[in-house]
This record gives sequence, C-alpha cells and structure tokens, in this order.
Amino acid sequence: MEKNHMETIAYFDASHDMPEEVIAAAGFAPYKILGDVRASNDPADRYLPAFFCPAARSIMTEALARSGQWAGIVVAQGCNATNRHYDVWKRHVPTPFLHWFNTPLKDDDAAVRFMKSELWRLMDAIQRHFDVLVTGEMLARANQESNRLKERLRVFAGLRAEKDMTNREYLSVMIKSMTLPKAEAIREIDAAIDTISNRGPFPGDKVKVLLTGSDVTYPELMDQIDEAGFRVVRDDLSLGERYFANRISESGDPVECLARYYLSIPKPATKVGLRQRLAYLEGALAQSGIKAVISQNLKFCEPYAYDAVLVNNALKSRGYRVLHVEREYTAAPDNPLATRLAAFAEMG
Amino acid sequence: MNAEQPTPPAMDPNAPVRVETLPHAGDLRWPMTWYFLTGKLYSLLPWKKTAWTCAGFPIELLLGLDIFPLHPENMATVAAAQKQSRRLIEHAESMGYSRDLCSYCKTNIGAVDTGAPLKHGGIARPDIITCTNTICDTHWKWFQIQAEKLDVPLFVFDCPKIVSGTDDRTIEGYITYMVEQFFDFFDFVKKHTGKKPDIDRMIKAAEQSERLSALWREIYEYRKHVPSPYGMAETSASFFPLVVMPGVRSGIRFFEKILGDIKQRADQGKGTLTGRERYRLMFEGIPFWYRMRFMYDLARYGAVVVYEPYTFSFAPSKPVNLGYMETLRQVARTMMDVPYSYNLEKRIAYFKQAISDYRIDGVILHENLSCRPSSTGMIDLKNALQQECDIPVLIIQCDMNDPRAFSEAQINTRIEGFVELMERRKTHSPSVGLD
Repeated sequence: MEKNHMETIAYFDASHDMPEEVIAAAGFAPYKILGDVRASNDPADRYLPAFFCPAARSIMTEALARSGQWAGIVVAQGCNATNRHYDVWKRHVPTPFLHWFNTPLKDDDAAVRFMKSELWRLMDAIQRHFDVLVTGEMLARANQESNRLKERLRVFAGLRAEKDMTNREYLSVMIKSMTLPKAEAIREIDAAIDTISNRGPFPGDKVKVLLTGSDVTYPELMDQIDEAGFRVVRDDLSLGERYFANRISESGDPVECLARYYLSIPKPATKVGLRQRLAYLEGALAQSGIKAVISQNLKFCEPYAYDAVLVNNALKSRGYRVLHVEREYTAAPDNPLATRLAAFAEMG
Repeated sequence: MNAEQPTPPAMDPNAPVRVETLPHAGDLRWPMTWYFLTGKLYSLLPWKKTAWTCAGFPIELLLGLDIFPLHPENMATVAAAQKQSRRLIEHAESMGYSRDLCSYCKTNIGAVDTGAPLKHGGIARPDIITCTNTICDTHWKWFQIQAEKLDVPLFVFDCPKIVSGTDDRTIEGYITYMVEQFFDFFDFVKKHTGKKPDIDRMIKAAEQSERLSALWREIYEYRKHVPSPYGMAETSASFFPLVVMPGVRSGIRFFEKILGDIKQRADQGKGTLTGRERYRLMFEGIPFWYRMRFMYDLARYGAVVVYEPYTFSFAPSKPVNLGYMETLRQVARTMMDVPYSYNLEKRIAYFKQAISDYRIDGVILHENLSCRPSSTGMIDLKNALQQECDIPVLIIQCDMNDPRAFSEAQINTRIEGFVELMERRKTHSPSVGLD
C-alpha cells in the first residue's frame, strides 16, 4: 500500500455532520465518500435492497472497491441510511479502522454536551488505533485551517451571482473541498476564484435560482439545470452552502467550538428544525433577490421528501416560484427532469 | 420435531381451514373501548391533556404526567384493517407526499386532512406531540410535519444509535444524554400543559406496565409449546394494550384472561392448529394490516407463526423499585434496546436464540417498503440464519399499510416454494434459500 494512500481517513456522511477537523488534526486527510453515479451499484446491492437510497448504495460500492486505499473509515450519524448501514459495512467493507460517530438530532445544551462527548470518543479512538496524539492545539489549528477553507469558499460561491460560472464549476470545487487534503483544496479554490473573477458577468439568458433538497453529488445534474437555463446562485446543500455558511469559533476550547459549530450550521432535513431550515432558505432568497426555487428529491431520500411539501408550500405562499422534482440517481440525461425544468423555465 | 402427528400440508390454497381462536379473544373490545372513550373524553375536557406519541416512546412518562397518549400509528392500522388506508395514502400523495414514504405517516396525514372519523383511522388534535427516533427517523419527521400543520408544540427525544460493537461505557454515556432530555421534556410539558410529573403516579404506571409486559412474556413462553396455543393471527390484534395503554389496568385484565385460555389449551395439548401444526414460523416485521388473512392463508399449509419480534418488542422488562433517577436511566436503556431495532449483530444472535427456543422451521422476513430501517441488514440476516441454523428463510417485499404493494399471486407462489423447502428439510433434504 502506498504511504500517501494510507494517510486518508474516509467518511460516510449523509449531510455535513462529520468533524473532518479531528481527522486533519490527527495528521490524516479527510475524504468524503461520495460514490460514483457512473458505476453500477451492483456490489452494494448484494447487501442493500434496491428501494434504499441509491446514493448510499453508491457510497458503499465505492467503499467496497477502495477501502484498501484508506487508513480507516468513520460513519457519521445523519439519517437511517448511515446509522443502519453501518452494521452492513462492518460485515462487508474491509478496513482496519471503522468508527461510528453519533451526532445529535437537536442543537440544545444537552445536544452540545453529547456532541462533545462523541468528539472526545472519536479523538480517543483515532489516537489509540493509530498511536497518534491529538492535542487541543492541534485541533485548534485544524479548526483554523477549516475556517480558511470555508472563507475561500464563501468568496468563490459569491461569484455565482456576479460572474459566468457554471453550475458544474461550483459543484466541482465543492467536491474537491471535501475530497482533497485541505491545503490542496484551498489552492484549488484560489485558482478557481482567479479563473472565475476574470470571466464575463452573469449571463443575461440565465435565470438565478436557489437549489434545495437532497444533496447533489455529481455534476451531470448541475449540467442539466444549466442547460434548462438556470444558474444556481444560492443553495442549502451539504456540498454547498451548508459546508461553509458558518465558521468555527477560534476562541475557547476547540472541542466545544467544534461541537457548537456542527450544531449551528444550516439545518439539513436530517435534523430537527424545519423552521430553521426554512428561515435559512428565506434569508438566502431575500438577500439575493432570487424569485425561483428548484427543490429536488433523490428517489428514496426520505428526509427531504418529508420536508418538501411544507417547505415548498411555505415558499410559494411567500410569492416564490417553486419547482419540485423527484429525480433518479443517474448521470444520463433525465428526460422527465428535463421536461419539468423546461416547463419551469417557460413559466418565466 | 412436533410431538403430535400432523397431517401433510394442504397445498390447495382454497382448502378450508379452521384456526382455533381463544375463548376470551373477543374481550379485546373492552380495553379498546376504554382506550377510545377515555381518549375522547380527554380530548373534549379542557383541563385534560393529550399527546400524540409513537412506538418506542415510554408511555408511562405521559401517564405520570396525567397526559393521555394518542397513537397515530395505531390509528393508521385501524384505517388499514377497515380498508381505508389506500384512500388516505392516495390523498396524502395528492398533497405532494412521495409514494416512497412511510404508509403509516401518509395514512395519518390523509386522515387528518380529510377529517376521517375514529373508526376509519381519524385522530383528535392533541395538546402536545412527542416522539422519538428510537425506531426510525420517520417518526420524528412525520410528527414534525403534523406539529407544524396542526400548530401543536413538538418534543423530539433524540435516541443515540447503538450500532454493532458499541461498548457498555459508550452506552452509559448515551443514557446520560437521554436522561437529560427527560428533564427537558418535563419542562416542555409544564410549559405547554401546566402538568408536572407525579412520581407516585409514574411509579404506579411503571408497575402496571411491567405487570402487563410480564403477562405478555409469559404468553410467549406458552407459544413454545407444540402445538403452539397462540399464533400471530391473534397476537397482531391482542397486543394492542401493550402499545397504547401499558400502564392501565384494563389491559392487564384482558391479558390475564387470554393467558388463562392459553394455559388451559396448552395443558390439554391443543393448539391454534390442533392436529395440523406442521411448520412453526418466525415472522419478522410489521404485518400487512390490510390483509391479516395472510396469517390464515399460512394455516392452510399447516404453518403457524409462533414468534414475532414485532409484538415481543412492546413487552420489555420495565423498571420497578429502582428509585427515581435509576428508573429514568432504565427507561432510557429500554428505549435504546428494542428488539425491533436491534443492530445487525444483536439481531442475528437474537433470531438464532428464538429459532432454537421456539423450534422454528422457517423464517419469513418482511422487507417493508415503508420501513427501510427494519429492512436494512435483512439480506445478511437471511444468509446468517440459513447458514448457521440451516432453515429456510424467505424475504417477502411488501408494505405494512399500503395494499397496493401486496401482490397475492406472487406472494402465494413464494409461500408455496417456501413451504416446499420446509417440507424437504423435514425429510432431511438440504435446505435452499429463497430470495
């Protein structure tokens, strides 16, 4: 096994719940397993039925194929896919280190204490298994680096509304931010900022939209939205604004700061807080002046499917145009989706 | 295996079959009537308070707060039994809810939105809504939606997941987190209803609840008898008091009566299929509430479901005489340790033990389109049981409350194949699994 490959600890995360900073502080490169929409899910389908989240099955497929390249894997509690699939991974995904990281559903004081205890448990597990030391100072440095990356992403994402940046370009940088070592990711983001800053202004033939719903993990879907005439200039996705909207406090106990950070990020549908999730969307729409929302739900992604009716009705009642689509997990052109997007575009 | 001499299995699906019900089976109407009338009364009287709650939630806490529990899930099963669930589910889908979401949830959404009567799965607006993710995330997602829609305060208990390999020290930490939430819950209840915990009342509810659970566990002991005096055709209805009124005397009286019937039947060497019990089955998952005849269909083959983790899950050992704080810790421990949601390692061990204890000939796993958490790991469970217990295991993909998922011809064909495998095993041929 090549040494540089063994320096990666991969993680399965249904949202943005996994404290990558702990992995980085321990001297490993955190890598978010995203699966590959272009590969068949057959390997995972030997263990998981076809009516389960296809993204989760794809993530397991990647883990089955690549776990030998990783020093270990952490599964972070997000939804019933992560917490139930862990056991299946434990039986079938070969890895020297598999850790379960529980995250709270809520964000109250009890939840903060629980999150802290889980952070300590994760640090302890990594230290003991890999015989490394993670001090408060090392974690504080990792938090600072995470903040630097988030700050660069905020700058980059801000260009969406001003410059001619494709949806694919935005998502591609987000994916790099979660799959490359952080220092390398920051260089990539800076390069992308330079490139996009020199582009022309936001194209006149495109409509600005906010994208919400299930996490988007492959650029082909973003292409399809682009091709229909929409540019995503705001979102609340995990491979998006949820990842960089807030910063980690750099004063005080770094574990406490990290716990509070993860419980304060824009709410995904996997956490209690429907009103907070709606408030973030309304705030983003009000700040940006966007009038149209694309709400999409990956087939079998339950948390967002539950939220969609109330969230979308609330946005419609406030005068926003909302398109809701249920999409397949496919890199191929999705014709029903294209038809819905085209109709939405025609509505002005 | 069986002490009696059973007749060969009747392979004619139309052959008449008689399943012996217990003499006091009909007495279930008394606790049901008590439950529905009391719930109605609590909903009407302004000084009385009600809460919607879900499976996995410790009802005894509510009883100790003088809050009456209303169960949307249970009412969803009522809707299905009354052949109303499809209409209500389709109504919810017309509101925008995906076909892939839980059919209990959609039945409830449809019932509330159409103002369905009680007998068709309707349910009153509560004073508070409380739930937990003990069983699934659907519970709190569903209740969050309804709390918003009905403008009712919501409290969610966050129950940490105990995955395979979790050590005791970690579990104790999880329990501490749960207990903290109990106190937050008491504050929430006081704020929204003015009710405060009555320790004596709570302890009494816990004691009665343990009495009810102990009776159910004793009933399960008798199900080990050959022939089994009690099958899932009846337990699926009679476990009702465990779900909705665990700390209430009326349910205890009913369980005492049916236990008396079961003892008598066992003493006489009789069973639910006396003289015809050929195959003893274990059924994993929630039954098809709209099609309870399925259990009677099995009887045509001489098959009796003698153990089901689903109804057993509602009868854990409850804490008594432990003192206040230790009682709360034990309640938290119980919430995280429900057989229905055991992690895979524990689930396999649990099944193997039940297969041995209940002399099981075959296992049916309901891969439930409405319950992905329960369906997770079923393939591994199936493989482990086939390999380690050498018995046939059948996975049926269906749905608990949505009759659109039930394909009678397909299921009958698979059951016939399954019965053939069990028969072959009885005649010493190697068993083969069914996918």
